[in-house]
Amino acid sequence: MLSRPTTAQILEDCRRELSEVVAPALGDEAVAVSVAMLDEVLRNCAVRTAHEIAWMMDEIGAMTAYASEVADSVEENEAVIAALDTHQASMTESLHLDDVCAAYSTAGQCLSEALGAARSGGEVELLRQGRVLLDERVVREDEIKGDWGFVGRG
Amino acid sequence: MENIEAMPERLAAFLADQTGRSVTVEAYVPMTGGYSRLMARADLRWDDGSVDQFVVRGDPPADQTMIDTDRDQEWALLNALEAAETVPMPSARWYDDTGDALGTKAIILDFCPGSSLQQILDACDTDFGDHPLHLAETMGHLHSSDRSVLDGVVPAAPSWESHMSELVGAFAAIEGTAHDAEPVLRYAGGYLGSNLPPPMPLTIVHGDFQPANIMADEQGSHLLVDWELCHVGDPREDLGYYNIYSSSSGPNLYAADPEAFLGRYREVTGFSVEAVNQATVGYFSSIAAVKLWGQLLAGAGAMAGGSNSGIMTTYTLNALSIGRQNFLLACNEFDT
Repeated sequence: MLSRPTTAQILEDCRRELSEVVAPALGDEAVAVSVAMLDEVLRNCAVRTAHEIAWMMDEIGAMTAYASEVADSVEENEAVIAALDTHQASMTESLHLDDVCAAYSTAGQCLSEALGAARSGGEVELLRQGRVLLDERVVREDEIKGDWGFVGRG
Repeated sequence: MENIEAMPERLAAFLADQTGRSVTVEAYVPMTGGYSRLMARADLRWDDGSVDQFVVRGDPPADQTMIDTDRDQEWALLNALEAAETVPMPSARWYDDTGDALGTKAIILDFCPGSSLQQILDACDTDFGDHPLHLAETMGHLHSSDRSVLDGVVPAAPSWESHMSELVGAFAAIEGTAHDAEPVLRYAGGYLGSNLPPPMPLTIVHGDFQPANIMADEQGSHLLVDWELCHVGDPREDLGYYNIYSSSSGPNLYAADPEAFLGRYREVTGFSVEAVNQATVGYFSSIAAVKLWGQLLAGAGAMAGGSNSGIMTTYTLNALSIGRQNFLLACNEFDT
């Protein structure tokens, strides 16, 4: 397959065409807002497509490791163990996007159950570790989001 | 309302039916600025030669709906608020309550000829003058008004405790129906439910209190518009919502000087500093938008499932990221 230019580069080129060629020719304000929104979406996609599989795989490992630690530490761990079992059953070696997304979701459920168990069990240090994972997730979402605002609001 | 070319004729027929007068729609211009509903400005000429401008506000197609709210309820709410003279707002004139005439249920309101507060603030350099305190007053007046005017119009919890229980419970409810795992909801819901702020009287809450929804007339007075998310709730929801909204789409007139803003707000409302302070605003900055966020997430889920589409849904995916950040804002149990 053609790997370069990357998908991110192609999307960025679409953005350039929209902003430099299409947008200046628009007289309709509503359409201009739609184009500005499209530009934001394409920028989001360019960042996502460059990193999303690697980022999700990183997080899957961290989330399940954390959930395993919580399961080993709290008494009421049934929901965490069930979530880990579900994740293991659905995990494949595939790096196709749909498969990684599915695994990311089941791993996220492991994190949810682990956070709930850590709070219920009063496990402050585990809760702190879980919060770190959430903060890392938010940082990556922020990178995708970039300097996003409410285009056209006003 | 989607078929712009057909709308002048349809609107003229509807208004003729409602008023018994002949009218010509001389211009019908879609309006930008609103995200959830279709809106357009209609320029009319009546049979006696007089002219008017109105706003037509209706629902988008079902498969492009980003936020699901009830036009029947909004119409009843607008009439109740206007009759009670709760706060200055444009008059709601007519309502196509079936959508038969205008293609979708649609409310027709007076057009506000001035600028929105957002446009005014955007034109300011760095000095916002008395806008911050004026905004605090506008919010305070709304929260000081008689909430009984909404009895029977919008649902209201029997107590602050039950209202907050529902608000905190929204985290679990949304997580339970989400199309993907949402661990931030589990964490934030747990924290916020265990750290409730001091109770307050329930009041009218605008629900989307931000400068794009405030029109300024020629005297600079504020007119509140876009009431579709209005409900009876904790007044600090509007404070928190404003804070997080304007942090993403500035300027943030609260953050510039929180104590001055809250001081003016407390003067107008008579609320105590124990109940209304930076910490409680921080709490409501985390929780205020959770139900709206849930609707955006449902739209994303519908898109993932193939039953929703459109640039508005795609574009507002970023608001989900902002929301997750906001949910964590007040959860400072580790001083992170």
